[in-house]
Amino acid sequence: MIHVSLQRLVLKNEVNYIISQITGLINTPVFIQDAEGMALFGEIDQYQPFRYPVEIDNKTIGWVGGGEQAAVLASLLSCLAKQELEKKSIGREALEKYKEITLLYDLAEKLTASLDTAEVAQLVIDEAKTLIAADNNSVMLVNEETGMLEVIASSGKELHPGEGLKNGTGIAGSVVLTGRAEIVNDIPSDKRYVPGAVRVSSLMCAPLKIKDRVIGVIYISSEDPVQYTAEDLKLLSAIAFQAAADIENARLYDSLKETFLTTVYTLAETIEKRDPYTGGHTKRVMNYSIAIGKVLGLSDTEIGRLELAAMLHDIGKIGIKDRILLKKGKLTPFEFAEIKMHPIYAEEILNHIKHLRDIVPAVKHHHERYDGCGYPEKLRGDGIDIKARIIAVADAFDAMTTDRPYRKAMSLQIALEELWANSGTQFDPEVVRAFFEAFEKDELLVKKGW
Amino acid sequence: MSKILIVDDELHIRLLLQQTLEEFEEEGVELLTAENGEEALQILQEEKPGLVFLDVMMPKINGFEVCKVVKNDLGMKDVYIVMLTAKGQEFDKRKGKEVGADVYITKPFNPDEIVRKARDVLGNQLS
Repeated sequence: MIHVSLQRLVLKNEVNYIISQITGLINTPVFIQDAEGMALFGEIDQYQPFRYPVEIDNKTIGWVGGGEQAAVLASLLSCLAKQELEKKSIGREALEKYKEITLLYDLAEKLTASLDTAEVAQLVIDEAKTLIAADNNSVMLVNEETGMLEVIASSGKELHPGEGLKNGTGIAGSVVLTGRAEIVNDIPSDKRYVPGAVRVSSLMCAPLKIKDRVIGVIYISSEDPVQYTAEDLKLLSAIAFQAAADIENARLYDSLKETFLTTVYTLAETIEKRDPYTGGHTKRVMNYSIAIGKVLGLSDTEIGRLELAAMLHDIGKIGIKDRILLKKGKLTPFEFAEIKMHPIYAEEILNHIKHLRDIVPAVKHHHERYDGCGYPEKLRGDGIDIKARIIAVADAFDAMTTDRPYRKAMSLQIALEELWANSGTQFDPEVVRAFFEAFEKDELLVKKGW
Repeated sequence: MSKILIVDDELHIRLLLQQTLEEFEEEGVELLTAENGEEALQILQEEKPGLVFLDVMMPKINGFEVCKVVKNDLGMKDVYIVMLTAKGQEFDKRKGKEVGADVYITKPFNPDEIVRKARDVLGNQLS
């Protein structure tokens, strides 16, 4: 509740000046006191019969005493007090709006910093929660392929990520179709409503729009009956407007990333196809490498680079002639020297692609040995990129456990013993240890039949 | 009695800051406002506020100059000066330091941050 203090009003320089002027004009002693009787101006005359109230909206906030003329002063003060009250309530409202703007501003900043769809959606929900009272919040996106409206992020008990509505059904579905934000304060009487996990009474739903296309909705609901107002809906729409652009942005980034990965993977598979013996080798080396990387505690970014490097570890073989690559018999020293060129060829190829340049060390050095007797540069120990050390173990393990042109696959047990025996010489012992840990935890997806 | 001076050439910012700091008024702190650098300097000398929220971008005498005059020429080193700067315009921190500004806050300001700052400063001055 906003209140106006008569004391503060009277003490204001300009008001005080006017009161003095008026009392001078009416030429009788005047006093002003607050509602509790405390003197604010002049001296209180107990016997003065004339006292006039200073009022705001029929509530007395003080008195002016001193002859009939004091009534004018009381009216003036009532008028000023009323203006003060209005100014304060406008000020309070403006400040509320300003707070919302600051929050939206913060939201916009945070959102543009993120390129992950689910993370963006979660930020939107967190922000909506601080601005609008609700029990359940969710961001749902239209899945073009399935035609479902899928929950991407949520809070509360009503909806959970992974759940979905058939597009076009429910109130959310209807908002997608019309592209118009809605308030429903009496849900039970709305025929479109599809009951969910909890009973809700009121809801608001705003479309996430990119130009004229609706890509999803932001949905909030309250279990207790509340009256959402047009102001609330305007705020939700403002959040939706900002969120839509950023979610679209994140999705475009995701799809770009996926296109890139698919292209790279297809490239790796094409190379693999030349050598029918190595079918599935790339995929398995990727899986082993990622499992080892996770045990070693690599960051998500590093795991992502490891995945790419493992995918492309043999890309340099594209430069090796079929006659040598596919030869069934023993390789001559000259032919073997040619095979050993594949990491160098890989470097030449990857250097052309800006987004792959940083994985060159991981690819180029996957045939280096921990003891420095590998190729192409005879690097040793920690001088070899950790991703290359991981791929080396993964690559060797897969080579041993699959059939090759010149020999049959070893048994799993012999392959494991072989890794163990070469730990510290050919392989980084830490990486071998991580390999065994991943193996024990069944994270390598290897068939364990002995 | 503690006094806070709000200096900004934009009426709505002055009103918003007044509203933000209303709770201090209830505690007996006097809120003063000035709409340009000249007026700010005059009030600073007459009323000696303990805390000033000072907009940087103002016509004629800007916030940096006001701050410099107050802290150096007038020697009022105890006045705590919070510079207000618009987001997007990079605040010249070196210049802020040079003229003796105590801290800066970007607009749109977060009202809670303004209240916290005022509490910190006035709390220290009262004790």
